[in-house]
Amino acid sequence: MGKKTIVPIGPYHPLLEEPEFFKLYCDGETVVDMEWETGYNHRGIEKICESKTFEQVFYVVERICGICSTSHPFAYANAVESIGGVQIPVRAKLIRSIVGELERIHSHLLWVGLAGHFLGYNTVFMWAWKYREPVLDMFEIITGNRNSYAMFTIGGVRRDIDEAKASQLLQVLDDVKRKTDLLTGAVMDDPVIHARLKGVGTLTAKDIHDFGAVGPTARASGVDIDVRRDDPYAAYDMVDWKVITTTEGDVFAKAKIRLLETYESISIIRQCLELLKKEKPGEIKTKVKDIPAGIGIGHAEAPRGEVFHYVKSDGSNSPVRHKIRAPSYNCITTFRRSCIGGTISDAAIATAAVDPCYCCTERMVQAIDYKTGKRIMNATDIIKLSQKKTEELKAKM
Amino acid sequence: MNIEQYITNLREKFPEIINIEVINTKRLMVYVSRDQLPLITEYWFNELQYRYIIVSAMDSKDGYEIIYHYSDDKSGWIMSLSVLLAHDKPEIESMTPIVYGIEWIEREIMDILGVKFLNHPKPERFLLAESWPEDEYPYRRKYRQGDR
Amino acid sequence: MNIKDLSFKKSLWVFHLSAGSCNNCDIEILDLLTPRYDVERFGMKLVGSVRHADVLLVTGIVTNKTKPRVLEVYEQAPKPIIVIAIGACPCTGGIFASGYNFAGPLDKVIPVDAYVPGCPPKPEAMLAAVMKLLGKPASEQAKES
Repeated sequence: MGKKTIVPIGPYHPLLEEPEFFKLYCDGETVVDMEWETGYNHRGIEKICESKTFEQVFYVVERICGICSTSHPFAYANAVESIGGVQIPVRAKLIRSIVGELERIHSHLLWVGLAGHFLGYNTVFMWAWKYREPVLDMFEIITGNRNSYAMFTIGGVRRDIDEAKASQLLQVLDDVKRKTDLLTGAVMDDPVIHARLKGVGTLTAKDIHDFGAVGPTARASGVDIDVRRDDPYAAYDMVDWKVITTTEGDVFAKAKIRLLETYESISIIRQCLELLKKEKPGEIKTKVKDIPAGIGIGHAEAPRGEVFHYVKSDGSNSPVRHKIRAPSYNCITTFRRSCIGGTISDAAIATAAVDPCYCCTERMVQAIDYKTGKRIMNATDIIKLSQKKTEELKAKM
Repeated sequence: MNIEQYITNLREKFPEIINIEVINTKRLMVYVSRDQLPLITEYWFNELQYRYIIVSAMDSKDGYEIIYHYSDDKSGWIMSLSVLLAHDKPEIESMTPIVYGIEWIEREIMDILGVKFLNHPKPERFLLAESWPEDEYPYRRKYRQGDR
Repeated sequence: MNIKDLSFKKSLWVFHLSAGSCNNCDIEILDLLTPRYDVERFGMKLVGSVRHADVLLVTGIVTNKTKPRVLEVYEQAPKPIIVIAIGACPCTGGIFASGYNFAGPLDKVIPVDAYVPGCPPKPEAMLAAVMKLLGKPASEQAKES
């Protein structure tokens, strides 16, 4: 891939001026401390779940985060079904895995686009999001919606994947694989991207352990964890796939892992579709009368890491207590280690590297002079600074 | 992983554990007192290198139940430590000195349940708006006869 | 100056404000920029500051913490500004309306010109809303730009 001309077409990201989530305290160009203000998105979901039936909770939890829309129902289903000892049909396990992996593909492509934007490669942003579209179309064909799929139910899934949909899906996967090859080539071989991402936002295995970070953030630092392999659920122990890890721990490593995981997801879906042919169509749900009293602890591997749900039941129709932990909750705390000591221009990409929920990444960072306490830069400025650094590097090379 | 052996070893090491229960496939719940919590946390997090997941808290009839969840990724077991705090004295030592990552969830529990984590490095409001009233804790229940 | 005048005099600059959303609507709005929907052919673009905007898109529920911010952003917006509530959340609160942190539907906080229900609404629905406000069918608009 030759050098591209980047035409800056303005700040694409809808940036909110005021409610800053992250405060980076700076001494000159260097970040010396970091604080996270949260609660803007606090919708009291756990409390809302207590007033819904077990079945209705699925529709609440899939709206916790729009990008991880399958992972929360997945973990919740694992939790609730474990209370009742519910065994779901093999066909349902395969369909659950297919939808879960499709989500991983769309989420990782989304992230590549965002990272491209932060670096000033707006073409990468456009491509990545354009290549996502066929995946969203497949979601619409399989589940009825581009986001918020409402596929999960207690005991199985709500819709089946028939022969026609399966063959369409296979074609889309071929297409996505080709496009991912293009993106991987463009991103991984670009010397400017190497210069911008290598050695930036580095986290050690000890950092990961201290904060309980998960997902690609952890795997990039050599911590070999993945819920799909460590505590298998759905169809993940029925297919061949590998956990991608590396040891450098910087942003480049995290980007590489996400791209390689996309290939693994494509392979998992293909294998699941093969296995699906052997299962009787239509058997997608086990009938469940009610959930007994007890405790259910379920987790699932979302694109960002482990999603954890704790459900306490007292035998009635609704959960007594539902505790939800999204992976970003543990990963965001690592900013203390990855941003501090670095420059402000690297802060945008270092924070984006853990892939916090898009909404969180957006309205966030502000830079504060730690001596005077005055704000020196807002989010737009910080992203512009990051893009400017890329331009300077390109000019040097 | 031989869970019976594991439970025996744990009881030997910490004889004052209140109870240990296998609540489900690969899910262990260990009931401890306030004083034992730092010892077992230290053992699990530092010695056995379990992964910290999260802390869940609930207002139950018998008190505030705080559960610390850890994962033993090698075996796939999730190990949880449950501590019960009396309704009239909801205080407990902060585990942040041992597990850095616990800092935020303890602040969240302070906001929503009003449990006090002693010696917390930054016991400030976290989740709720500044305008939210000081003494109102959204996750506290008012127990009456027949409530769950 | 009414909405139709605005549309003929210049292209629409849009500012997106997320009050407390789950991202579904936000990424669908961003999707409008991508080659498939490409709103730039209608002359619309997303801007980084509300002070330059003609249209304010709001997603997510207004929580207690974001309510003062929403008001602040509205104050800073140049008037007249068209406010569009995107998604079920700002329209009515959607599934989160029973939450204790819900500070009311958007039209109780700032005046709203259009509602695009859906969870999330499809990009086509958002485009249709803007076209409706502009009063011209998409094909004619495309011819002019």
